[in-house]
Amino acid sequence: MAVPQAHHLFHLPIADHSFSSDKQTLVVAKDNNVALYQASGNKFVLNDELHGHDKTVTSVDIAPKSGRIVTCSQDRNAYVWEQTASGWKPTLVLLRINRAATFVRWSPSEEKFAVGSGARVIAVCYFEEENDWWISKHLKKPIRSTITTLAWHPNSVLLAAGSTDSHARVFSSFIKGVDTRPEPSAWGERLPFNTVCGEFLNDSAGWIHSVAFSPSGNALAFTAHDSSVTVVYPSAPEQPPRAMLNISTRLLPLTCLIWNGETEIIAAGHDCEPYRFTGDENGWQLSGPIESKRGAAAGNVREESALNMFRQMDLKGQAQADTQLKTTHQNTINTIRVYEESDGHVKKFSTSGVDGRVVVWSI
Amino acid sequence: MAQINYRTINVDALDPEAAVNFPLDSLLPGNLPPPTTSSGAANVATQVRQMLRGGDPEGALRHVLDTAPLGGDDRAKEVHLAAVIEVLQGIRQGEMTRILEGVCSGDGGSERADCLMKYLYKGMAAPAPSSGVQSPRKSVSPQSTGFSQIQGRNLGEGGGGQQMSVLLSWHEKLVELTGTGSIVRVMTDRRTV
Repeated sequence: MAVPQAHHLFHLPIADHSFSSDKQTLVVAKDNNVALYQASGNKFVLNDELHGHDKTVTSVDIAPKSGRIVTCSQDRNAYVWEQTASGWKPTLVLLRINRAATFVRWSPSEEKFAVGSGARVIAVCYFEEENDWWISKHLKKPIRSTITTLAWHPNSVLLAAGSTDSHARVFSSFIKGVDTRPEPSAWGERLPFNTVCGEFLNDSAGWIHSVAFSPSGNALAFTAHDSSVTVVYPSAPEQPPRAMLNISTRLLPLTCLIWNGETEIIAAGHDCEPYRFTGDENGWQLSGPIESKRGAAAGNVREESALNMFRQMDLKGQAQADTQLKTTHQNTINTIRVYEESDGHVKKFSTSGVDGRVVVWSI
Repeated sequence: MAQINYRTINVDALDPEAAVNFPLDSLLPGNLPPPTTSSGAANVATQVRQMLRGGDPEGALRHVLDTAPLGGDDRAKEVHLAAVIEVLQGIRQGEMTRILEGVCSGDGGSERADCLMKYLYKGMAAPAPSSGVQSPRKSVSPQSTGFSQIQGRNLGEGGGGQQMSVLLSWHEKLVELTGTGSIVRVMTDRRTV
């Protein structure tokens, strides 16, 4: 495995990051603003900042084809940013929520995006030509608590959502006039708006941190705060799932995950490094960490000089102050995204976390 | 008309949207074992005591963890906790690791490990049972959530400290074996013991 490419951007937590499709632009949520970084050589330099939100920005997403950026924040607003000759122009989205917006993602078709919120609704937003703005429709029904995460099915109609009520759900977000009728799948055949195509709960509960559809869309994986990853294979509409496999790990909770093909999942979280899970319908297991940490450890030992040792003893009363983690990330990883893939297999992925780093990993 | 002190009304309780009215039973999985009573738990305790006396501590621990009254009432859970602690105290320090490895392996091993972790935390939260009479636990939190954080710990007196040290050494051994994941699951899991 190649050495991961780490970009230490600033000393603030990164709630979310997103790369443009050409990988030249990197957008990160930084406090109340959104920072735009431009690739220069093998570094990223600050290029622009998008001001508009007046509370912590919780999520950002760049649409790969159109290049539009959508952001949402605890100030209950979402903006769609478009690049014009005079810079980035925001358009306010009518979310109609009275709590923080927590998560936003473009649908693969890029005609809609979904915003999760603390108001126990998911706002599915689409552009209305007549009035020239983004309006929203609410997914409400069985949600009992804050939506923490969302993921789109490749058909842009089905939407998976994870919530602090410990349930992962699959909804239909079909909007007449925007979506084309989806192919029937194991999740459902007729899919009017707000159809609940699945509702899943782990035995040991725990609120949901991340959800993801497999590349084919025929399986759903989610991580929860019970340090587990659960993979669900639906059987038919209105039927219990064909298989629901729960892998409880010995790790701290995993906060984000992506699929690599249909038989591998990469997940990362409070243990500050990504892990690989492999399996299929018959069983899943944790295969181990992706990072090899030997090199980093050796480097640390060399720094330890006699002078340093006595200085540490003098200052802190201990010979070795080991505050450096052996992982590339020095704090919880929040977001994991596919960076480069070919034929449905991930070649590179990127992670960002509380330590202000964005890391690109190759596998 | 009766005087109502409006300041003392718990307005959250009247608001169906409030967090205190969150339906906690919606977090329980559908495969919960049927409810058990304290007499059932007492039966298990006798069986387990026999196994301990018969020199099968591993079997005793396995049995007592497999029969945890996840769906039982408070009284059954209380009796079962006493049985688990009795087993834990009945196993010598030197044998702990070997027995734990046996109990936490095989089919359902990780569930048993998680279950044991729940009992360790519950044991540390509960006051040490005084011989014979057990006082019903007073619920401190406004609603019975299954967790109560503020409890008399009886650390100083009599057997309390000793029980705590037994639980702590089990905790250490169990974390070595199952990692921090099982501690996290104690906090999330609503199937309380």
